[in-house]
Amino acid sequence: MTVLGTSPRTAAATTTTPVTTYPATKVLDLRSLHIINRFTGGWTRGLGAQVTAIGGIDKWFARQLTPSLISDTYYTSSGAWWPSNLADSLTTIERANADIEPLWEVSAHYQTWSMVRRIGSQRQVLETMAAFWEHHFHVPTDGSESAGYRQDYGRTIRKLALGRFDTLLNAVSTHPAMGAYLGNATSSKYSPNENQGRELLELHTVGTAAGYTENDVKASARILTGWSVDLWDTWVPSYRTDWHWTGPVKVLGFTHPNTSTDGRAVTKAYLDYLARHPATARRIARKLAVHFVSDNPSNALVQHLATVYLANNTAIAPVLKALIATTEFRYAGGRKVRTPEEDIIATYRALGVGIARPTQDNAAANAMLWQCDQIGLTPFGWTRPDGRPDTADAWTSVSRMLGSFDVHYSMAGRWWPTVGATYKSPAAWLPQTSLRFDRFVDHLSRSILGRPASALILKVASQATGFGAAAIITKDHELIKWQMPRLLSVFLDSPQHLAR
Amino acid sequence: MTENTPTCCQEYAANTGMSRRSLLKSGLAAAGVGVSTSLFGSTFLQASYGATRQAGNVLVLLSLRGASDGLSLVVPHTDPAYYAARPGIAIPKAALLAQDATFGLHPKLAPLLPMWDAGKIAAVHATGLPAPNRSHFAAMEELEDADPGSSARVGWINRLIGQDTYTHPLQAIGMGMSVPITALYGPQRTVSAYSVDSLALAGDDQWDTAHRRRTSMNTMWAAAGGVLGTGGRTALSAITDFGPVRSTSTTPANDASYPDGDLGRALQAAARIVRGNVGTDVIAVDHDGGWDMHTGLGTLDDGLMIRCADELASALAAFFTDLGTLGDKVTVVTISEFGRRVQENGDFGLDHGYGNVMFLLGAGVKGGHYGTMPALENSLDADVPVTTDYRSVLAEVVTKRLNASSAAVFPGFTPETIGAILV
Repeated sequence: MTVLGTSPRTAAATTTTPVTTYPATKVLDLRSLHIINRFTGGWTRGLGAQVTAIGGIDKWFARQLTPSLISDTYYTSSGAWWPSNLADSLTTIERANADIEPLWEVSAHYQTWSMVRRIGSQRQVLETMAAFWEHHFHVPTDGSESAGYRQDYGRTIRKLALGRFDTLLNAVSTHPAMGAYLGNATSSKYSPNENQGRELLELHTVGTAAGYTENDVKASARILTGWSVDLWDTWVPSYRTDWHWTGPVKVLGFTHPNTSTDGRAVTKAYLDYLARHPATARRIARKLAVHFVSDNPSNALVQHLATVYLANNTAIAPVLKALIATTEFRYAGGRKVRTPEEDIIATYRALGVGIARPTQDNAAANAMLWQCDQIGLTPFGWTRPDGRPDTADAWTSVSRMLGSFDVHYSMAGRWWPTVGATYKSPAAWLPQTSLRFDRFVDHLSRSILGRPASALILKVASQATGFGAAAIITKDHELIKWQMPRLLSVFLDSPQHLAR
Repeated sequence: MTENTPTCCQEYAANTGMSRRSLLKSGLAAAGVGVSTSLFGSTFLQASYGATRQAGNVLVLLSLRGASDGLSLVVPHTDPAYYAARPGIAIPKAALLAQDATFGLHPKLAPLLPMWDAGKIAAVHATGLPAPNRSHFAAMEELEDADPGSSARVGWINRLIGQDTYTHPLQAIGMGMSVPITALYGPQRTVSAYSVDSLALAGDDQWDTAHRRRTSMNTMWAAAGGVLGTGGRTALSAITDFGPVRSTSTTPANDASYPDGDLGRALQAAARIVRGNVGTDVIAVDHDGGWDMHTGLGTLDDGLMIRCADELASALAAFFTDLGTLGDKVTVVTISEFGRRVQENGDFGLDHGYGNVMFLLGAGVKGGHYGTMPALENSLDADVPVTTDYRSVLAEVVTKRLNASSAAVFPGFTPETIGAILV
């Protein structure tokens, strides 16, 4: 099944270009745009200038893979906009218990921050990968037991998002947020709870294709016993040696005598084994390929990435480098459909909407959560442990399409959100005091979509506004005075913006 | 696992004291300018599927996501193993409703008692997949694909609506869902939507007298490729085709009162679809309300089960009340990816099991208990065995109510007769 029968690039190439263009508004080559669309929150003219200044997309990407080289002040400054995002988990839980910041608010604050970071951070690739792993090791932001630990969980993943998978797997599997969510926090040798032991195999590592048995699932759960969180009272996490199941364990090819009541060593040995299992390598490779290449990556690509992953001792950055070097990646431009959160993030970036520290609930930095919800799903709001779907057939429903169109229209018109958001004025979109309509459309296409206007976009823009290619547009023109919402929507509602 | 979600969202919305939609629409008057010239009026392209047809019988598939515990919903109260295996969470016999010699209903199913007593609800016991699959996700895929011989990802509802020459996307609707379920996937176009009233194109309003917004969007999406292009065109056409549904009252009929939450909202929308009469054969609704009760399934005083059972029964009762005589053509089937263990775990919960109960409600249903419920075993790993393939239950509904061929909907499967559907 093709996602886009003709990629936007092909479509543009087979139609004639507009009569006159606006080349002064710079765009990058299509490969650079493709990498930007896949590995950042979306195109901005500022990002294009950054790539050019640094000497091209490959240099830019290499630098992004070493996030310590890049300023991270936006992460901490935006994190401080909400009380819980940078706070210690037990402090957050205490505040929730005192009803100062209830857990559902704690969750919502994390969701919005996760989007704000992806809109504003200079560490764009790191933020993209942090979100990727947070979806992989999905713990919902739903105000339930795990909520007090959810911020720390997200921060932990971000710290390790470009490191090694084995480190990441150990960190998330023993984290109180996952333990609370998947029942391992209360699982003991007396009554093992199989939930996390199963999802560790099925969702986080080898997958069902590895052919593990129900006995393997039970052993997996037994290995994980001991990582407790006192969910009834103090919420303090502790390793309970009196809860750890001892005795020989076997999961797939992993065996361990497991004689010690302190099962932390067997846990680490087991997770390290799973991280290096060929089925895990293929599964992670495939998931990366589905997210960054296409909904149906070839087996050859998956195997290639799995080989790189294993050859690099589960390090993630070499896999990403290998991925963008493949031909399959190169020719996959525009073949992924943006999820609701990706749409919102890209829309704020494309319109250049400034986001301020939220002073009220309907400020943009909070309201973007409802914008996501209107399209179909809030970030990490998926209710099941498998994480939100990441393919076009899931994100092209009637609700999704019309929800996106509605959100785009409201933002193009600067109608909502209005608080804590700085929009460009209609006249500010004009690159010079007076120009033809078709040149203006080309300028807007370059600004919003990062590419010259196609003949189709120009035609749609004319239909949407009623102006022909040769109409002369100035700041006093009725297009600027009245019709900019409809004109900007043309770009935001295009297949090029809904895909990445 | 998600019991707080609806509350959280309601609170969040309530806390802001505003309706998202009203805000989104406010200020639109600023766009109100009629543009006199119409340069491209002739290029208006309507993604067209032809007219909708009159609706016949309707199947509502209600999926209880997360694997519901059938033994709590319909309790085999004469089986000593049930009580022995569940010292903390078993439901006392005295509390059970509609007791017969073998079974009794969970007390929170009380809203459905009038329908049960009227013989309009059947419970088919110990149903499930032909072989155990304890993975939520793999089990849901298998259950909804329902074609183990094929690697193509085509859901059984999609095969069902593909049997006739009618190809309108409103023939099968996923309601209350932004992401379509597997059962809907496939070559036949279907519609998934979160609500009825969201089906409108922003900007296509009273001030756009020249219909520029709609015309330009049709042009943009007319030739867009792939799944995304199809999605765009289906959405633009659904706005028009859903008109009769949107025109139905937003107030339930017959004083029906739906419970708060996604299930009530989705079933109320389903009733409006039936009332709107837009040729819909199948409506899929999910209840993703916390059935995965590894911890805290609880008792009759506290826990997840009383909440879920109450929401389920209240919503279904309201649905049939709302439908009134229209209910004479609507049959509801409930399904879950698998059941849960017989024995409770240390967290007052139940781990993943196998066999489960399916309910049939409404039109054509001959009420009572069906299937074979074997004696339970009280051991750590014991399941409710499966004695009836779930496809037999679905096959009976689709053949008798929708005149479909079982062999086409469930390839390679020979259904057994359940006897729970009269006509």
